[in-house]
Amino acid sequence: MQQEVRFSSKRFFLTLMLCACSVILLQNGDVSQSSSFAFNVVCVAVGLFICFLMFIPAAVIKRRTDADVFTLLQGRSVSALRAVAVFYALYFIYTAEFFLLPYTDMFCKKYYSDAPPCVISFLVLAGCVYAAFKGINVITRFGIFLFAFAMLTNVLIFGGSLSSLNLANNSFSFEGDPADFLKNTAYFITPGFIAVLFACLSSYVNGFRLRQTAVSLLLTGVKFICILFFVCFAVGAYASRQEYQSFVLSRVAHLGSFAGIESFLTGVSTMSVFMITSLVLCCIGKGFGKSKSLPFISFAAAVIFIIHLAAAYNQSVAMFFTAPLLFDSLTLAAAVIAPVGCYWLIRRSSREKT
Amino acid sequence: MNNSVQEIKDRLTAAFAGSADLTIRSLTLKSRCSLSAVVITVEGLCNKEALSQSFLNPLLAYDFAAMNAQQAYDTVISSVLASSDVVELKDERQIVPFITSGFAVFGVDGADGLVAVGVQGYSFRGVSEPESEVVQRGSREGFTEPLRVNMSMLRRRIKNPDLVFEQITVGSKSKTQLMLCYLQSAASMCLLQKLRQRLGSCDLETVLASGYLAEYLEDPHTSRLFSGVGISERPDTVCGKLTEGRIAVLIDGTPAALIIPHLFVEEFQGVDDYSNRTYYAAFIRILKYLSFLAAVFLPGLYTALAQFRPEYFPTWILTETSGSLSKTPFPVTIEVLMMTFVYEIMKEAGLRIPKSLGHAVSIVGALVIGESAVTAGIISSSTLMVVATAAICSYVTSPLYPPITMLRYIFIIAGGVCGLWGIVLATAVVLISMCSKTSLGVPYMSSLSPFSLKTMRDVFIRSSWKKLSRHTIRVQKFPETEGASCSRK
Amino acid sequence: MKRLSLTAALLSAVMLSGCGSSHKIETAAVIENVSVDSRGGQIYYTFFRLTGGDTPDGTEIPADSFEQACDLARREYIPNLSLAKLELLMINRDICGEVLKRDIEYISTQSSFSPMAYFTLCDSQTLKSVCENTSVQQLIEEQLALCKSQNADVNISYLSLFNSYSRADSGDVTVPYVSCDGEIRISAIKISK
Repeated sequence: MQQEVRFSSKRFFLTLMLCACSVILLQNGDVSQSSSFAFNVVCVAVGLFICFLMFIPAAVIKRRTDADVFTLLQGRSVSALRAVAVFYALYFIYTAEFFLLPYTDMFCKKYYSDAPPCVISFLVLAGCVYAAFKGINVITRFGIFLFAFAMLTNVLIFGGSLSSLNLANNSFSFEGDPADFLKNTAYFITPGFIAVLFACLSSYVNGFRLRQTAVSLLLTGVKFICILFFVCFAVGAYASRQEYQSFVLSRVAHLGSFAGIESFLTGVSTMSVFMITSLVLCCIGKGFGKSKSLPFISFAAAVIFIIHLAAAYNQSVAMFFTAPLLFDSLTLAAAVIAPVGCYWLIRRSSREKT
Repeated sequence: MNNSVQEIKDRLTAAFAGSADLTIRSLTLKSRCSLSAVVITVEGLCNKEALSQSFLNPLLAYDFAAMNAQQAYDTVISSVLASSDVVELKDERQIVPFITSGFAVFGVDGADGLVAVGVQGYSFRGVSEPESEVVQRGSREGFTEPLRVNMSMLRRRIKNPDLVFEQITVGSKSKTQLMLCYLQSAASMCLLQKLRQRLGSCDLETVLASGYLAEYLEDPHTSRLFSGVGISERPDTVCGKLTEGRIAVLIDGTPAALIIPHLFVEEFQGVDDYSNRTYYAAFIRILKYLSFLAAVFLPGLYTALAQFRPEYFPTWILTETSGSLSKTPFPVTIEVLMMTFVYEIMKEAGLRIPKSLGHAVSIVGALVIGESAVTAGIISSSTLMVVATAAICSYVTSPLYPPITMLRYIFIIAGGVCGLWGIVLATAVVLISMCSKTSLGVPYMSSLSPFSLKTMRDVFIRSSWKKLSRHTIRVQKFPETEGASCSRK
Repeated sequence: MKRLSLTAALLSAVMLSGCGSSHKIETAAVIENVSVDSRGGQIYYTFFRLTGGDTPDGTEIPADSFEQACDLARREYIPNLSLAKLELLMINRDICGEVLKRDIEYISTQSSFSPMAYFTLCDSQTLKSVCENTSVQQLIEEQLALCKSQNADVNISYLSLFNSYSRADSGDVTVPYVSCDGEIRISAIKISK
């Protein structure tokens, strides 16, 4: 088995950025239709700024101790480590469902109408087990290829939508009410889950700088705004008639007679969800000190699959696992409260010793 | 080691079980003390003329007068032997490796010591142009079977004591000689140590080709789909690799060198790239990458589109393809699989049959399978075109032919069963597998992933020689190389 | 044994994943154009299949709406109907008020239709010519693209037509109108929402 080698923090943030971008690819009516584009841009900015704030506790721990939440507790407090590992395992299972459910739903509703969602998720999870077994370093290396593919897809989607761009479809005015602001901002905080991934995996990276966080969130924001802009001005009101607005945008995009760009979007979504789920499995394994244990990773994947099955047959379960507000609250706890608590615990115990 | 001619004779005869090619000649030297000596050779490995002229004739003509056995032995080494290739044996166990390498072993009865005289004279294929790595501009020399000839080809190109040849013997039965070649100033001693350990752990009985050893040199627990060990028949290519800190393994009897570490991007680099203009080299490189992608993905994509997304075809292709496919009896996935399989059979037949029959196979392939099958409606013309295009593309990067073939089948099945989505998922898994692979601790996908801008100057494009020569990048300097920080000897 | 069972499970999952939604190229009835006409008070939707020949291969389906026509076509007339490559929808100007808004509403909710498909109103003569020669459809598409370049306000695609309908700024929508009086002519006309 390969040893986990430390790797560049820049690459890790590239991977995290790709994970964050998948949020907008799987967006399905989570952004208020009555709010204008300019209003949504403000929501994106506020949402991603909150995401940035979520990074601070993990960044402080990384700068001061060069450790992540799990390595911070290792060898110091077994009971605290177990409690934290269980909390994070539950959080990550929720995260995996938060992305897998909309993905399989989009896939089956928009792409292959007859494909059974459970089989799709089973195959994705099987691939993720293999990726998680190979380790976080390998997943981030894969991220470079995904980045290239995502860039190509962006060029095709945005370039292909230029011909449909009609500024009369919407206005640049600032329209939206406080309820819209809360709804939209809550949705744009969801990329904050990458702060939790960072909090759990930062011990593997070298050369971390806080500006890398800012840059990756900035680029994520640019991607969000581009998608919102083209959905707003190239697709217009048509976007609200169908689910998964990014998919509709890719359906509209065409370069001359070359159409079918939705396949590229589906490809990027598949690979992004694949990467998120693999990272999640890595984190769960790391929490329990079994980051490269195939049986353990398979067990975690099986749990995710069983919950997915339950969500497929029970709408209320699916709604529970795809609620942005609940996800945000859990993210806040996992990215801020848990790391701060761990750090405080360690500081206190070291003070007591001295 | 006090020699007794009779004992040596008996032991060797027993060891060779009376083999007919073992020649043991007893001699009585011209002296007053009637000294007896022995010359041991293996028939067919020695040049008899050289043996007579440089050794036997002067030996038998020399008058040893009143010398005792030890004095006579020392005199033979210092004054009688006309050969330059003389090795004193430390041990009687060294006799067999030397005589089986074409040396003649000489000993005087009662003297302490044995000497091996280089009189190799076996027949071997001359130096010729390598068939698998043909170049437009550059040397026409390729490796040949004898190890020493191959070593000389490297030494002629790097006239520097920095080039080291380190001999290792592998194969408990075949006792095959290997030569580790590296540049002291360039190679990582840590990687070299790793390589020695791996060769030391090789428990093969016989090593008859480079492929035997390649598996032992691969990093454990990494994917075996792509090879982490490069192979080249060209001494100039090997010299180029040595300057980058790589290590070459020459194997006696194999007209190729194994090169390690070996990276994915190297499969797309050719000797001609460095002779051609930079813009043309870049064009060829990009062409190779595109051909690789086409060879792997084209049949799978065609199957996925025809099976699940026919509307993605442009209208004129769609009408032609659907018309052509509707006349054939098989589903498109089976048809593509079948055609790819038939193509592989034809390729294998073309490689194995005598050259004189090669034309017959071509005619059968082109006319019977190609034209008649389409006319008879057994296969569609579009499928035939796709499979043929993919087949041609796979030869552009011929070292990658085995993984391309396997991946092609995987993607045809993934595309035929799950459509484009299946191809995407299979691609993700294959990429994970490739990214996890290492070659002697160096990530196999280095330059691309882990990304390194410095090394990108010789990946998709080939920078000018002025830029390349400014700073040679050693392979151990690639990011995330395991054990790269090991101190040098 | 472990590997074998894992491979078997994966293979069975792979087999289950997509076979059901396979639209094989050789059997799929790919529809290129749809025309909507009326005879004797009954609306007819004609689905023209994509063919390489000169004669159009149209299937006429009596229905009250496009939704019903598609449903009927799938069940009774064209089993492997594929509308993903629909390029042109032509509606008789006389029945435009009756069907246009309803059909646009329906199409906008269907992800299988490309929103970039062309739309035009036609006279009866043009619709007859469309049924006789495939080149007419091609000609109309070319003329529509030309019309758009000359008059930016004209809505030649479904996407722009739907968005114009949804916009609250004015009561009229500019659409192309194809008439045939010996030769094909395209003009932009305004219709009220």
